[in-house]
Amino acid sequence: MIFGGSGDLAMRKLMPALYNLALQRLLPAAFCVVGTARRPLSDAAYREELRLAVSQHSRTKPLNEEVWRSFAENLHFVATSDDRGYGKLRETLDRLDHELGTHANRLFYLATPPPAYASIVRAIGEHRLRGDTGWARVVIEKPFGHDRESARELTEILHTVFREDEVFRIDHYLGKETVQNILVMRFANGIFEPIWNRQYVDHVQITVAETIGVEERAGYYEQAGAMRDVVQNHLLQLLALVAMEPPAAFDDKAVRDEKVKVLRVLRPITGDDVRMNAVRGQYGRGFIEGVAVNAYREEPGVARDSRTETYVALKCWVDNWRWEGTPFYMRTGKRLPKRSTEIAIQFRAAPHQLFSREASEGLEPNALVLRIQPNEGISLKFGAKVPVQGIRIRSVNMDFDYGASFMVEAPDAYETLILDALRGDATLFTRRDEVDQQWAFVDPIMEAWGASPTDPPIYEAGTWGPIEAHVLIERDGREWRKA
Amino acid sequence: MAQSIAIDTTFWGARVLGVAAVERELTRLRRAVIAHALEQRLVAARASVLNLIVYAEREVHARRAAKSISELALRHPSRAIVVLADRGAREDVEARIEMHCHLPAADNATQVSYEQILVRARGDSRQRVASAVIPLLVPDLPVFLWWTGAPPVGGPPFGDLLGVADRLIVDSSDFARPDLALPSIARICSQARGLFGLTDLNWTRLTPWREMVTSFFDVPAWRPFLETTTGVRVGFAVDMDGRDIHPSQALLFIGWLASRLGWRRVDELAPSEAGGLLFAIARADGARVMVRVRPRFERGLEEGDVSGIRVQAERDGQRAEFVVKRQPDERHQTSTVLIDGRTRWERTVPLPSPAIVELIGEELAILGSDRTYEEALAALVRLS
Ligand SMILES: NC(=O)c1ccc[n+]([C@@H]2O[C@H](COP(=O)([O-])OP(=O)(O)OC[C@H]3O[C@@H](n4cnc5c(N)ncnc54)[C@H](OP(=O)(O)O)[C@@H]3O)[C@@H](O)[C@H]2O)c1
Repeated sequence: MIFGGSGDLAMRKLMPALYNLALQRLLPAAFCVVGTARRPLSDAAYREELRLAVSQHSRTKPLNEEVWRSFAENLHFVATSDDRGYGKLRETLDRLDHELGTHANRLFYLATPPPAYASIVRAIGEHRLRGDTGWARVVIEKPFGHDRESARELTEILHTVFREDEVFRIDHYLGKETVQNILVMRFANGIFEPIWNRQYVDHVQITVAETIGVEERAGYYEQAGAMRDVVQNHLLQLLALVAMEPPAAFDDKAVRDEKVKVLRVLRPITGDDVRMNAVRGQYGRGFIEGVAVNAYREEPGVARDSRTETYVALKCWVDNWRWEGTPFYMRTGKRLPKRSTEIAIQFRAAPHQLFSREASEGLEPNALVLRIQPNEGISLKFGAKVPVQGIRIRSVNMDFDYGASFMVEAPDAYETLILDALRGDATLFTRRDEVDQQWAFVDPIMEAWGASPTDPPIYEAGTWGPIEAHVLIERDGREWRKA
Repeated sequence: MAQSIAIDTTFWGARVLGVAAVERELTRLRRAVIAHALEQRLVAARASVLNLIVYAEREVHARRAAKSISELALRHPSRAIVVLADRGAREDVEARIEMHCHLPAADNATQVSYEQILVRARGDSRQRVASAVIPLLVPDLPVFLWWTGAPPVGGPPFGDLLGVADRLIVDSSDFARPDLALPSIARICSQARGLFGLTDLNWTRLTPWREMVTSFFDVPAWRPFLETTTGVRVGFAVDMDGRDIHPSQALLFIGWLASRLGWRRVDELAPSEAGGLLFAIARADGARVMVRVRPRFERGLEEGDVSGIRVQAERDGQRAEFVVKRQPDERHQTSTVLIDGRTRWERTVPLPSPAIVELIGEELAILGSDRTYEEALAALVRLS
């Protein structure tokens, strides 16, 4: 069941993911998709629209006609603008259960704009869409609430129909192969764990950089901003994965227990700290990849005097034994020079410089970089001797390119996540207490910014954010990586 | 209609649309090389140690630079981003950026060691060039900026690109107006402190000359003459009709001596015959040193290359001359010491190849700054 089945997310991400799962024979034998939205559509028209969308957005091309045909036979559409619609939906689901023998196992995917969530969940309850025999799960898109209070309310509403273990809050970053690799790399390789702490790690930098501007999402983005759009979910999840203690097992409980422990000891940035440790910015005009682009305030749908932040940089501390004294710097923004998501673990410089200063000029401390996108992979920078006479040391990069090493395309995050949801594995989804902690961290900063009489500093599009962001890190004698 | 030079895609690779497409295309090409290597049970790897941005305003320069770098790829695996800025921003040409890329692999190469991207900027693209180049850099690796021609004093794209560079490479032999360009290089140097190093390939060409001159004064008997220098003559090559005068290399030699020996400027300065220079400098003890920098036509030499050096000195009634000359075969250098006109000592050594590949290769191994050069340049600017 996809609520918002005719929306942008469904067309660009969910359906292509489902189709690719079908292509890899990963979908259950008895399976169908029912899309709903308020605007009516016939099954035939729905299938045709999806066919176009999938041919365009699927990561595998061209469309495999055979697979598509049998996949499309199981696509349905029901309009749900009122109670009659939901009644019809219930009938359709019961009929399909009967025909396919699906035991009323149902996955509800909420892909509508967030204001519709509450009424949809209520309707699921009232119209008994859960079915009586099988399992039921609900996948809910981000943003999950717009602050701690509203997130709690949303959870309450969900809990009127679903148990917490049936709620799958999606953060598509967690579906990315490289993000899962963080855990594999940390805990499956004996070499990293002993150095994964304050003694060896000088600091950590987490970057989520986009080159795109607000595009057509101004309506949503004006309300959200970079903090709610990216920091509250993706950045804090990445931080938790990097900083967490080894879980007792790789199951949903143990992994999420450890993540939430990190989020709990994340030192809050409140009051006066905000000025020192949090920086916001908004993009002005500039150039991206050689093309002139508008300022945020000139974008369609954006207020001329908008104070929405399109950039955030933070300096955070994880107050536990492992990370005492090791800061975590995080930044995200739109209209930055390069699209890149990465985590850099910057190791401390070797305690004794064995080689003379001259020999080691050009040698930077070792860094381990986990690239999440694009070019998913891992690179390690270390010192090596330059192949000329004498000893001259230079930093060299070892590059592990995910695609080149395995010669396969990594699956799309949504494929991984939908499959996990179908199988009932919640490890890669965000639990109630995690969301709660994430908002608890974000809310005071948003409050301070909201109360501030000044506009966010403007940065030129195509640069790495406002001056203030550089000051934030350079004050500590460090600098942002050239990601 | 604006005429446009067609880009030779066999050399520069296919045209691709945007940074993401460049990365995708290079990944595809890389995988093909690696798959091929695996088939032959060879180990395949991608290695890179540096990013090299080349900025050129003419295709011949861009192409020559790209060739040199590809020859160096095994020693210095790199990603090269060659910026070709169509000269003379014409108003009727729409400002825009085009990209081409490929992996010019040596036959049977199992290593992907050289990735080449052409960024072609047309029309008045100064403001936008850097925004296309910077996202193409491989993160974490040092960035070398090789600026062909005299760098401008500031402004985009020079300033923007320099901002991400760890080392700036220029070649002062290409400077049409060294009297203007050298001081501006000196200014760039003085701003560079700690941010980036600077290399002048012309300085690298001078290295064998400096070595030979230094070696004279390693000999204890001749060392005292250094403090009593009375004259220095430096010859440099010009073309047959003496039109192209490029004295930068010769001048840098003078700057070097001045910085090492604490020579200072004296006001009188006389232009000499045929584009040469004749002037006096004050030694540390105040006595005069006459300096003559003279253009000469010599077959087989690149314009601007030093062809000979003569250092004259007097001490205790003895007249000494220390001479370094290039042999007619161009591959050897001879140094001679004359006392009171009689040859006292002579030796001939091979002269290292002045090929640009070698020069660049040498420079790519260095990340730090070259104090000696900076001081020589500063001394030269003070003298003029
Ligand atoms: N697009 C993305 O890339 C993206 C990425 C991450 C997360 N998300 C999240 O995914 C959700 C959907 O985003 P979207 O971009 O797909 O939005 P969208 O293009 O506006 O689509 C919204 C869909 O929901 C339906 N809808 C709207 N109000 C409804 C209601 N009251 N009851 C039932 N259906 C309703 C719409 O159809 P009708 O108008 O006909 O009802 C449409 O099918 C949002 O929560 C968004 O934050 C989107």
